[in-house]
Amino acid sequence: MEIRVCIGSSCHLRGSYEVIEKLKKLVADNALEGKVNLAASFCLGKCGTGVTVTCDGEFWEGVTPETVEAIFAEKVLHTK
Amino acid sequence: MGSDVLEYGYVSLNKKGEELCGDKVEIIPAADGGATLVLADGLGSGVKANILSTLTSKILCTMAAAGVPLEECIDTIAGSLPVCRERGVAYSTFSLLTVTERGEGYLAEFDNPPAILLRDGASVPLERAERICGGKKLYLSKIAFRRGDCVLLMSDGVVHAGIGETLNFGWDIKEIREFAEIQYDPSLSARTMASVMANACYELYGHRPGDDTTVLAVKYRAPLTVNMMIGPPSSPDSDSLVVREFMAQEGKRVVCGGTSSQVVARELHTEVRAGFDYPDKDVPPIGYIDGIDLTCEGVLTLKRLLQIAEKYVSVSDPDIKLFKGKDGASQLAQILLVEASAVNLFVGRGVNLAHEGLGIDNKTKLDAVVRLINICKSLNKKVEIKYY
Repeated sequence: MEIRVCIGSSCHLRGSYEVIEKLKKLVADNALEGKVNLAASFCLGKCGTGVTVTCDGEFWEGVTPETVEAIFAEKVLHTK
Repeated sequence: MGSDVLEYGYVSLNKKGEELCGDKVEIIPAADGGATLVLADGLGSGVKANILSTLTSKILCTMAAAGVPLEECIDTIAGSLPVCRERGVAYSTFSLLTVTERGEGYLAEFDNPPAILLRDGASVPLERAERICGGKKLYLSKIAFRRGDCVLLMSDGVVHAGIGETLNFGWDIKEIREFAEIQYDPSLSARTMASVMANACYELYGHRPGDDTTVLAVKYRAPLTVNMMIGPPSSPDSDSLVVREFMAQEGKRVVCGGTSSQVVARELHTEVRAGFDYPDKDVPPIGYIDGIDLTCEGVLTLKRLLQIAEKYVSVSDPDIKLFKGKDGASQLAQILLVEASAVNLFVGRGVNLAHEGLGIDNKTKLDAVVRLINICKSLNKKVEIKYY
């Protein structure tokens, strides 16, 4: 599984640095290093609603530093 | 590659407690790439010294640049300087260096510490022929600049460095030469070299300079053109044309901006790989495109670049001017402000609607570009701009 976070200008201002830091921690905490690959991407043309994050090509909606944990839990850990 | 180019920069530290510097550097670039440079040190410190050195440097530099013989320049200065009431003399030292675009240098020194010529990392003695001129004893030297040569002119604040603080008798000229030899590195810009020397004085003075201290570095170096693309063209129809023109240029290539880098990568039939490291968390990571020397994010990186550039161009900042950071802004600063002797800007006026309202809209970006252009010009780099 590959999660890509946009590091373009507007996503940066919306908190992509914090989102990346939180994702790194979530991957580590859940011992998913071999399964989840984190990467950065430039603008994916979806600016406007939170930080743009894709997971194996699928867009995650409304990711912010506040919501990233819940979304990770739902999409990756399937605990929701 | 064209012929070698001249590069110069200086740092001037004020005597502690003084608002004005008694040392003054005056530079007049010649249209053909040569330059006339004067470093003057006025008697005393503060306002008086500042007036004396300003008059001296301004008159000498203007006249010398216009080709007036040295004798006449000195007569004019002697006739113009106001006489100090306390000391009964009108006095300012000077070092005058003229260099042609082919690197033929001519140095006239009056009462400043002897200039240092660094060649291949070693200091080379100058001719320093003595000549009485308008009643003053001058030392004249011819310097045939070779690639990588760096000449350091300085005020006596450098040889006095440390008096009353760390060294009993100041910094000996022989030791200054040895220090300069050790510090010399062909990759350092003239400005950086000047800052290295001035910073050493600042440390010897215990951060409280006992005298105005100035170092002016003049370097003869290989030219390098840096081509920088900022922002996508206003119409996607011109993408391929602009990228083709951009790739046809000589020198280094920098792409600044997320959309621009995707345009370039697409036109080159390759892709952008985004970096994932944040050496500075306020600057988005850099990217990589084959054939491009530096790929970075746009407007936020530019903003940070302008912040660090201001410190670099400051002549009163005592810190060593180096860009060591691995973040996009520091790498961009190193390429544009240190490595480049000429900058070609390809400015796209395409608007990214997602940036509106975030404080990073097109106007912010174009303003930043204009400031960057002014900074490059103030560093005596040739700048060409094309808008698309």
